[in-house]
Amino acid sequence: MTASFKNILVPIDGSIYSEKSLERACELVDVFDSSLILIYVVEKSIPINLLDRKEYLTILRKFGTNVLEKANKKLLKKGITAKIFLKEGNIVNEIEKTVKKEKCDLIVVGNKGLGSVSRLLLGSVSNKISQSSSCSVLIVK
Amino acid sequence: MAIKTKKILAPLDGSKNSIRGLDMAIHIARQSQGTVVALAVKTVPGIYAIHPLGFLDFNSMTEIKKLLSEAKVRAAKKGIDLTGKAIAGDPGYDIARFANNPKNKIDMVVIGARGRSSAKEIFLGSVSNYVLHKSKKPVLVVK
Repeated sequence: MTASFKNILVPIDGSIYSEKSLERACELVDVFDSSLILIYVVEKSIPINLLDRKEYLTILRKFGTNVLEKANKKLLKKGITAKIFLKEGNIVNEIEKTVKKEKCDLIVVGNKGLGSVSRLLLGSVSNKISQSSSCSVLIVK
Repeated sequence: MAIKTKKILAPLDGSKNSIRGLDMAIHIARQSQGTVVALAVKTVPGIYAIHPLGFLDFNSMTEIKKLLSEAKVRAAKKGIDLTGKAIAGDPGYDIARFANNPKNKIDMVVIGARGRSSAKEIFLGSVSNYVLHKSKKPVLVVK
């Protein structure tokens, strides 16, 4: 039998779509008894002014911790405990790294996010993850 | 709380990856007490859809029916209800259309990452990619 989902990774960015994917992941946790891992990635690859850079990053970090806390509160209401990560760097690369580190079996992503250049049907990050990840991907629509 | 995936679509093409996808679909169906719909698409070049002689090629249709009956046996072993559907047409387009059709009430599509289509992308098959983009239902890509 194929492996059941022991570890589920949910990358969140604070958009409606990521909330949806979080809900879906909760359902899966209930059914499969798996552990949940939340991750927020502060994107560092955006070309921004050198002067603004520090300030911009602190704002992003604050936003990230906010989003993670909100998600964690939601999970605690449902009685689910999750590991929480705040990473910095390229979004897709960091997600891949944590997948390898934590031995995740499934990534749950929304079909779109906060990305500025969102394609009409599938976001750029979701697309990259589904193309290049080594584990199964569930795309919530 | 019951999970909402009651009807799971598993497209088949006879490759190893699609069998893996089917196994995963059966696994999920067992957890959520759902049913699996297996969809086998026979590739027909577009011109044959107009040309009447295109459908005289019955041999490959039996191949697909064999595939579906194998899938049925596989699901029956695990105690899951499986309904088979055979369609002739363009795989990606027809799978996406089948999934989006509200009549079919599909809750989730489970698809293997690579099939046996000739266009070899390194990471993801062309059909999986097409379904991923065009389907309005959640898609699980099994690797």
